[in-house]
Amino acid sequence: MSRFLFPRWTNAILPFILVTGAIMPLYAVLVVAYGFSPKTIDAGYMPTQPVPYSHALHVGKLGLDCRYCHTTVERTSFAAVPPTQTCMNCHTQIHRESPKLAEVRSSYETGLPIEWVKVHKLPDYSYFNHAAHVNRGVSCVECHGRVDQMEVVYRHSPLAMGWCLECHRDPIDRLRPVSQITNLAWDQRTEMTREQREALATQYHINPSENCSTCHR
Amino acid sequence: MKKTYWRSVDDLTGSPEFRDWMHREFPDGASEHVPSDDRRTFLKVMGASFALAGLGVAGCRRWPETKIVPAASQPANRIPGVPVTYCSSWDFAGFGQPLLVKSYDGRPIKLDTNPAHPWGGAGISAVAQAQVLSLYDPERSRQVMSKGIASSYEPFVTFLANTSRELKQKGGQGLAILCGAASGPTHAATIARVRAAFPKATIVEWESLGRDNVIVGTEAAFGAPMRVLPAFDKAKVIVSLGDDFLYGSPDAPQWAKRWAVGRSIDAADPKAQEVARLYVIEQGLTSTGMCADERIATRLASMHVAASIIAEAVGVGSGSAELRAALTAANSSSAATALREGRGQKVFDALVTDLKANRGRSVVTAGATACEATHALVAAINRALGNEGSTVTLHAEMQTASMSSLQALCKSMESGEVDTLFILGANPVYSAPVDCDFGGALKKVARVVHLGLHADETARHAGITWHIPQAHFLECWSDTRSFDGTIAVQQPLILPMLAQGQGGRSVDELLAELVGDGPADGESLVKSTHESLASASAGGPAFAEIWRKTLDRGFVEGSALPAITAPPMRDAEIAKTLTGCAWECDSAKGVEVVFLRDMKVWDGRFGCISWMQELPDPVTKITWDNALLMSPKTADDLKLKRGQMAAVTVQGRTLEAVAWPVPGWSDGSVGISLGYGRSGAGVGLVASDAGFNANRIRTAGAPDWTTATAIAATGATYSVAHTQDHGAADALNTSVPMQGIQERLPTLVREATLDEYRSHPDFARHRTHVASRLSLWSENNLEGAQFRWAMAVDLSKCTGCSACVTACQAENNIPVVGKDMVLRGREMFWIRIDRYFKGTNAASPEGFALQPVACMHCENAPCEQVCPVAATVHDEDGLNSMVYNRCIGTRYCSNNCPYKVRRFNFFDYHRRELSREEGIAKVKPEYYIEEGPDVWLRMQFNPEVTVRMRGVMEKCTFCTQRIQAARIKAKNDWARAGGTASGQKQFSIPDGTIQTACQQACPTGAITFGDLNVADSAVSKLHRSNRSYQMLEELNTKTRLQYLARVTNPALPRESGSGYGGHGSGHGSDHGSGHGSDHGSGHGNGNTKG
Repeated sequence: MSRFLFPRWTNAILPFILVTGAIMPLYAVLVVAYGFSPKTIDAGYMPTQPVPYSHALHVGKLGLDCRYCHTTVERTSFAAVPPTQTCMNCHTQIHRESPKLAEVRSSYETGLPIEWVKVHKLPDYSYFNHAAHVNRGVSCVECHGRVDQMEVVYRHSPLAMGWCLECHRDPIDRLRPVSQITNLAWDQRTEMTREQREALATQYHINPSENCSTCHR
Repeated sequence: MKKTYWRSVDDLTGSPEFRDWMHREFPDGASEHVPSDDRRTFLKVMGASFALAGLGVAGCRRWPETKIVPAASQPANRIPGVPVTYCSSWDFAGFGQPLLVKSYDGRPIKLDTNPAHPWGGAGISAVAQAQVLSLYDPERSRQVMSKGIASSYEPFVTFLANTSRELKQKGGQGLAILCGAASGPTHAATIARVRAAFPKATIVEWESLGRDNVIVGTEAAFGAPMRVLPAFDKAKVIVSLGDDFLYGSPDAPQWAKRWAVGRSIDAADPKAQEVARLYVIEQGLTSTGMCADERIATRLASMHVAASIIAEAVGVGSGSAELRAALTAANSSSAATALREGRGQKVFDALVTDLKANRGRSVVTAGATACEATHALVAAINRALGNEGSTVTLHAEMQTASMSSLQALCKSMESGEVDTLFILGANPVYSAPVDCDFGGALKKVARVVHLGLHADETARHAGITWHIPQAHFLECWSDTRSFDGTIAVQQPLILPMLAQGQGGRSVDELLAELVGDGPADGESLVKSTHESLASASAGGPAFAEIWRKTLDRGFVEGSALPAITAPPMRDAEIAKTLTGCAWECDSAKGVEVVFLRDMKVWDGRFGCISWMQELPDPVTKITWDNALLMSPKTADDLKLKRGQMAAVTVQGRTLEAVAWPVPGWSDGSVGISLGYGRSGAGVGLVASDAGFNANRIRTAGAPDWTTATAIAATGATYSVAHTQDHGAADALNTSVPMQGIQERLPTLVREATLDEYRSHPDFARHRTHVASRLSLWSENNLEGAQFRWAMAVDLSKCTGCSACVTACQAENNIPVVGKDMVLRGREMFWIRIDRYFKGTNAASPEGFALQPVACMHCENAPCEQVCPVAATVHDEDGLNSMVYNRCIGTRYCSNNCPYKVRRFNFFDYHRRELSREEGIAKVKPEYYIEEGPDVWLRMQFNPEVTVRMRGVMEKCTFCTQRIQAARIKAKNDWARAGGTASGQKQFSIPDGTIQTACQQACPTGAITFGDLNVADSAVSKLHRSNRSYQMLEELNTKTRLQYLARVTNPALPRESGSGYGGHGSGHGSDHGSGHGSDHGSGHGNGNTKG
């Protein structure tokens, strides 16, 4: 029998090794838990779009309502990205020669669509319905953040299932009158009392489902 | 240094295989690295790729970059992602089928019937629904071929113009056109224009599976061919002579709906319940035969004798000595003696008694393959019984007998009289009778143009000059007439999915181009036809308004054929037809070989639709093949066993097919479906080598049946993929092979005769005794739910047509698995139809039972209890939800399910190539189609339903996507109206808004879905009915899918005495004491609210 002999000087660093050996797995777990969670990875995604469209300018400064472009949000599950036609409603008159709009103009002329990069992507097995939320008092800002201040759209919320359930389990703070749905600067947490919001919940029978079949089909 | 713990040695050597594999499983960055032999580099790469796999490569996200592509200019009223429905129609071999097409972002994805259509409006057949898949068939013809070389449409236009000019100068001499039967007025108008432009041309509208016998038979009886429309809903007695009207005809859904009216068990007082009685005399076993109350199996050749037995008994020929003599002669033949053998005489007596007692309220009908004499006699029988005008109406027949025209055409082709032939939408090289030798005759024709959906046998024949890809019916304009004559428009939902300049024409468009004088696009042709139709009835609204209405509603108002009252009955002609029926019925001559009509592939044209190949045949449950079907006794006589190959010799030609005994088949007669056995280039992966080509022994003179000179085993065997085997007897063993099944059956499929029902209306509740209602686990609390979804399946109405199976497959993106997987029992259908034979004699079953089985959505679901990851959970509305992303594939849920309705996706079937081989299942990655499910087939997917990958369990969801869609819409409408301020306390969904796919497709209305919380919803009433029961209720699963027991109406007592076991036997002792108490609690529907 022989012991495996380390050089003597390793005795000094043995405590360090033990401490590191204890902390490393913990560290790895924490890195994965926090580093790989949707809050870290998904929120903040800000891809470059083919056309440098600025919501801050059009919505924030010029005051366009969300629904002017995203027309289907109250009717169907999908809040449609507007066709080139919608852009050209104004831009046949305004900034007609702007190089930033070259892509838009060529799309309008050729009929080939602009390929926007999808920011708020959910997996294919989950089905989110915009109309069900927008019609019942959940504003755009709850999930999408202050889009009216975004030069380039980024993903404000992780949109993970756990995050959705946070609201589904306690929706009262996220409700506002339907008339204020697209007023992103307005905050019902300060403008309304909790009782008023609870009244809204009663009026619209807000009883968010936690059933799997609600979103997973 | 080699790694030893990797799967294959070339993993580490950087072989292309390995790189490929990596490319699929890891994101973009990793596959660009070339792993070398060096360990350090390798670990670096793997380490990096693992890290990258977690974090994503570009932009720190977890998913590949996706694009949103809006239109550049959005059409009005079209919301992307919201399906739009259009009315259209489809011509199925001359039978117009009204359709409602659901189109998603410009892609038609689902076909259903048009509920507003006066003739249609019942469910839709399986084969009709499968047509949406044929639109996206990747093996469709997409290339114009000129003498086998790829070409384009422009040179063809030149060719056509030159040919047309040349032919016009000759008045059409030498021109022949062969097309299929098409019912619509536009086609008729186009043909008229062709005749006008080319007076000497030969035009043949031919169908391989035609209606010649009906046309000739009714012509004999009435002097002109008649179309007979039976009103099954008004009949108390139905006698079918080989007519498989519940499944075996293009209009089966319409007939089934009407038949189901007579089978409705809905009388308020059970004692007064009446059920129409169905007698079936048939050669093989069909769906109609399985639903029959009394049944006789006889050779097809003897069908006219059966008709004459009935005719004589009801007094046909009272005014004609000739006819009486002919009838007497037929009724004293050996065939008549054979028919009357055993139970036969009793059945005939009962039949005749019933017919006589129900004059004017009965229907006698004959199948398309029964000989002309049968049809003539049936006409006379209906006349004698006074059915004409009440349960049977006569209309002018629009089709003509065509087999002889085809023979004549072949002869002229052979003799060189035809120099230009147009084959439009037909495949005669494959489906023409073998003695016509169409392929050989084709070589003698100088110019042949073929228009077809596939580059099939005809397109690839050496004699073809031009092959033009045809437009699918969803891609072109036309119109159709349904059986009753109502005109429906066929409008396109998508442009022809071909490259520019590669054809994509319909039959009428090509003919119009041939005539060449005026517009040749489908829309103008159809509109001009309809304009002339509209102007024919003058003094109405403007045509634009009529056209708008026609398109919107799907049919032309008032275009049904008028009834013809009492045309003359020509007894002498009938007598002549009868005596001229030179078909011998002598069994000494040989075994009869019948050419069956398969409703999945028809004459072979639908063989390329994978859904249809995989759909189990309703009677034999065979998939991916056809077989030589025979009775167990005949199999014994011929020394054939199930699965053995047999060689059938007819007039010197031989066909080899696998023998398959079917209990209940007639003795001395074998049957084989047409439409299978295709092979060769161009047939495609799906249809290739599926089954055996019966056209090899089919002659034009005997297209329905013939006599085999020899049938003998070849020594080879063939494995047949079939999905159910209960009771299919091995012919040698005449005692019931599966005793356990026979004992259990009465509790699974509960049935009673009408007499039993009248005396004991809640018989269904008494078939099992539920010992206790304790649960092994804590039950779900479903109190206070807003909805309680439930379903009821009426077994009295189910015909086993399997329309529900295909509807579910279309709606829920269910993959096709291929023959080798069906052999392993891995077919993926979420709903299946169980078929049982009944009785104690496997060679001649007493009856048949059919039961559709889908997920029962048990309130006390065994599957939910054992899922380790909670991938299947119960939602508050009572649905058992399946969450695909959570499933890790332990398959414990399927293990626990007592109904075995859960299907596991073993091999990512959407990406796996179909295979017919047995043996080792192909699991290696090479067979994966690179890009996932074929780009074309993907377009049929329903975006509302997740497409599942391997390793995930799936099952019926009660069409949760439809439930959610209806619910969200109702909620939104209510919220937009003000919510509680609108006056309605809560949103509601009216009963009938939500239809599951199977319910929508079912022609008889056997499936009902709805909300149990609404006391007067259809499903609540059915659940409260005395016939309702749960399958395997003794397991206390508390199913939400309940069955309504079947009530049959036999005329004669059954051998096994009263009912089917169940109560009578063996329960005497344990009945007495505990009876009273457990009746109260254990009955009802056992759900919480009772």
